[in-house]
Parts: sequence; structure tokens; C-alpha cells
Amino acid sequence: MSTSKNVITRRDFIRTGSCFAVGGLAGLPLIIQASVKKPDKSRVILIRDKNVIHDGGSLQGPILENILDEAMTTILDVKDSKSAWQHLFNPDDIVGIKSNVWGPLPTPKTLEAALRTRLINAGVRKENIDIDDRGIRGNPVFNTSTALINVRPLRTHHWSGLGTLIKNYIMFVSSPWQYHGRACERLGHIWNRPEIKDKTRLNILVMLTPLFHGVGPHHFSQAYVWPYGGLIVSTDPVAADAVGAQIIQAKRNEYFKKYRPISPPPRHIEAADKQFGVGNSSSDRIELIKMGWKKDILI
Amino acid sequence: MKTATLWRIYFYSMIAGFISLMMTSSATADSFRVLQESLPKKINGWTASAEDRIYNERSIFDYINGAAEVYRAYNLKQCLARRYSIEKGPAIVLDIFDMGSPRDAFGVFTHDTDGNAVSVGQDGRYRPGWLSFWKHRYFISIYMEEETAEAEKAVMELGRIVASKIRESGNKPELLLKLPKDGLQTQSIRYLHHPIILNYHYYISDENILNISPHTDAVLASYQRGDHEARLLIVKYPDTKTAEDASRNFYKSYLPDADTNGTARLEDGKWAAALQKGELLIIVLEADTREAAHHFLTSIH
Repeated sequence: MSTSKNVITRRDFIRTGSCFAVGGLAGLPLIIQASVKKPDKSRVILIRDKNVIHDGGSLQGPILENILDEAMTTILDVKDSKSAWQHLFNPDDIVGIKSNVWGPLPTPKTLEAALRTRLINAGVRKENIDIDDRGIRGNPVFNTSTALINVRPLRTHHWSGLGTLIKNYIMFVSSPWQYHGRACERLGHIWNRPEIKDKTRLNILVMLTPLFHGVGPHHFSQAYVWPYGGLIVSTDPVAADAVGAQIIQAKRNEYFKKYRPISPPPRHIEAADKQFGVGNSSSDRIELIKMGWKKDILI
Repeated sequence: MKTATLWRIYFYSMIAGFISLMMTSSATADSFRVLQESLPKKINGWTASAEDRIYNERSIFDYINGAAEVYRAYNLKQCLARRYSIEKGPAIVLDIFDMGSPRDAFGVFTHDTDGNAVSVGQDGRYRPGWLSFWKHRYFISIYMEEETAEAEKAVMELGRIVASKIRESGNKPELLLKLPKDGLQTQSIRYLHHPIILNYHYYISDENILNISPHTDAVLASYQRGDHEARLLIVKYPDTKTAEDASRNFYKSYLPDADTNGTARLEDGKWAAALQKGELLIIVLEADTREAAHHFLTSIH
């Protein structure tokens, strides 16, 4: 039984009103300050195209590539997509693309291929690029990487409330279950590990057919995905996740016809900002640029 | 009694225990296989895949991403996964979780009780795309990969057939009888004996300050009495001493400011209270008034 004087309880959270009271994994102090320098404001591109998902549900590759390129040029204020990629990556980089293979809603292969192609066009050597998810800890490209791209679909998640860009890096640790406490609030801690910190140059939250509610052991029903037809692109994963979370919450409210909070609450997004300094989660620190299809945008 | 005699008794007891364990395990596996063999190969036009997949408490992680820990927290023995498909329609996935005991089958069922009550198995619930129920030591989940009227009909039919193949029903844990009836939100009942499950439904602390373990029973429930709401947790320990230790630790870590009645005002204005009675630790996690918190404590025996 615990007799630690540093036990953190629900009351600590009520007292402080947010995530500030939580410590990291064992050994971290009760309150730690964000140790990473964050940008004052994070630019987030939300881009949509109503035709990227056909009525039959199939993904239209060329349209997806178009919206990816538009997002990239806008986020970096450059004239074309190639310049954007060259701005973020140089020919000497070794790039791991952290994808997500979750069966019902994986990162689309078309998007993975588009990212690989654009890296090659920017001058990165083919052999210095790899795409992986569950094997990243043993992947030589990831183990020697100088840069990372983080790409995954947004979905609700049993333990963390949302399967986010922040959450996508849990495969970098050997014991993911250690992060499941209090709705995976300490996920931001992973981003400060030496082998990861400051390596992520690009984050893409796939909003083509997000999952806004999960049921059953497999946490999936086709009833709870919808053709949103978008991508959220940012160099700041926290800001991208914060925007995505708002859209999911709005969809839940619309679908259930009442306020139906994401459960459990995705506390890890705010914690990644306030506790671990990974990025910005507050709307006043996010420059959201909406592009393309506006109907039912939900934000 | 002589030492040699004692050793002989000990030796034969061990042998008898081992044989009994092996027989129980074998009987469990046999009935699981019997159930598997009795399942329909076809249902309303859907056809079962050639082979079922069977997972144990370790390999379940290969099958269920994330939530596998929930099943392990309820002592999963094995899981049978069968996929039914049809040419033009969504696949239907039948998962039968052998939890080893009715209390664990009921417990894992209470992890998610959303949806509408349906007359399938014990306490059947249906929400879009997913049917769940428990019966005896089994928890059954049937979901369709896409919701259609035909698939829903097949899911319900399959559920009824599976339930009929499990002859025995299970009793709910006796601890539930301790819950006061007045204002009880039955759909909110969670039965558990693992801290990770308690923290999922109601976060208490980052450490296991209540000493929840496989040897404890716990039930969590919400109440609505008029305009007043409350959350109640009752934990039953294997003995009074363990309950006393847990109570002491809970007061120290969670209610250090409790008054002489064991009641404290929380930071959000609600009231919490705890009282140990023999093997039981009764905790009002939150109540709108001090009187309501006190009333819960005194009404449970």
C-alpha cells in the first residue's frame, strides 16, 4: 500500500483547476515547469476538400496530395510545395515517418507514399527514409534519425480520450501502459526524451474520416466516423491536436444532440503544453488558418 | 502430531490440490471448446470464417489494441474471436471472453453499459453497431463493421443463439446488495477489483491508496435523489485488518482534513466522507451536502 507523501490525488487537480499538479512518471517532482522553448504562437492549417472522399468512401489520392501541398506552402509562407519541404528538411537528414497502423483507421497508404515522395523530391536520400509504427524501436532509420514526421488519423481512444499526434509517440517507449494513468495525461513526457526532443519537423493529423465515438472491445463502429475530408497540418503537435479535439467535441455534440464530453477527457493535450512544454494548446496561442471546403467545418 | 505425519498430510494435500486445479482447468477448457463447437456456422446469410482465433491473457494484446488491459484486469482466461462475412454487407465480429467467473464476466460487462436494454443474455445492451451482454462466466461482444438493418438483425439473432448455448446464468456479486436502492442509477454501477479500472471511471490518485487488489471487491455507483447527486464507492477487503489499513491510508492521503465524523469538504464545494465497518470501507466520493454524505455512510451495513 502506498504511504508516499507525494501521492497525487483527485483533490490536487480540483485545487489547481487543471493538470499542473500532476508529476511525470516516477521520480518527477509534483510540479514541474515546461522546460522546452515553445513558439509564442503556433500556426495550424485546417484544409478540407469535399471530394477527397468519394460518396462510396474511397480516398481520392490526387486530391489528397493537392491539399497536402497547399497546406505545406501556406504553413511556411513559401511559393511552392517543394520549397516548403526543402525548408523543413535537408539532403543529409535521416527521416522517420511515424505512422499509425490501427486496423479500423490507419494512416492512409496514399498519404504515406506522398510524404515519402516529397521528401525524396526535397533531396533526402531514399534509403534515409522509412515509415513505421509498432516497429520503430528496432528500426535503424528511426534509431539514427535526425528528423521525424508524425502522421496519424484522429480518433477517440479508450485510455487517452483521443488518439492524437502527441499520443502517436507512445510506441517510442518500451512500456506504453505506464502512461495510461489519469487518461494518459503524461504523454507529453515522451516528447522530451533525448532521442525524440526537437526532431519532429512536421505533424499531420488526418481528418479524412475521423472517429468521434468508440464502442466495444475494438473501440470502433462505422456509425461513428464521418467524411470530414480534411488534414490538420502544423509544426506544433499540441496546437494541431487542440484544434482536432475541438472538432471531435463539436461532432459529438451535434450527433448526440447534447453536450457529450470526450471520455475520458483528453487531458494529455493541455498537459503537453502546460506541464511538458511541447507546444501550445490555448486558442489565443494558435493561429488557425482554414482553407478549402467550409461546410460543416465545426470550428 | 508427529512431524512425519504432518509432512504426509501436507504432501497429500498438495497433490490433491494440484489434481483439483488441473481438473478445474481442464473442465473450463472443455466447456469453452463445447461452447465453441456449438456456435452457428451461418447466421441470416452471414458465414463464419474457416477458423476461429483464440487468445489468452497474453496474446489478447495482439487482438485488442489499448483496451486489452481492461480484460486482463478482470482475469481474462481466453477469448474466442469469430468473424462472419457476407458478400454484400459488413462483417460481424463475435468475441466470447471467458472470464473464469460470473463476477468477472459481470465486472467487465459493467465497464461500458451505454445503450438500450435488450432481452439478450444477462443485462444485454445495444448501441449503434454493438451488442454486449454477459452470461455465467462469459462476456459476449458482437459488433458489425458497418451498421445496416440486416446486420443488426443478424447480430441480435446471433446474440440470442450464443446466450442459449450457455446453459447456466451467473449471480451478480453480493457486494451490489450493499448499495442503497433509493436514487441508484443502475446503469452507472461498476464492479471492479483493479485500481486501473477504478481510476478510469473515477480518478482517485496516482497510487493505489485504497489497496484495491484481486482480493478485494469494489462497487462504484452514482445516485440521483431529487436535485442531489452523489458518487459512492464500497470496497470489501478480505479481512478487517486490511480494511483498517486501507481506511487509514485513505484518510491520510485523500481526506487529511476530515472532521470527527469522517467528512471533509472538497475543493469544488462537494462533500466526501469515509467509514470503515468491519471488512467494508464505505466512501462517499462526492455528495452535494454534508448531510447526504453522512446519510450514505450510516445507511449501509
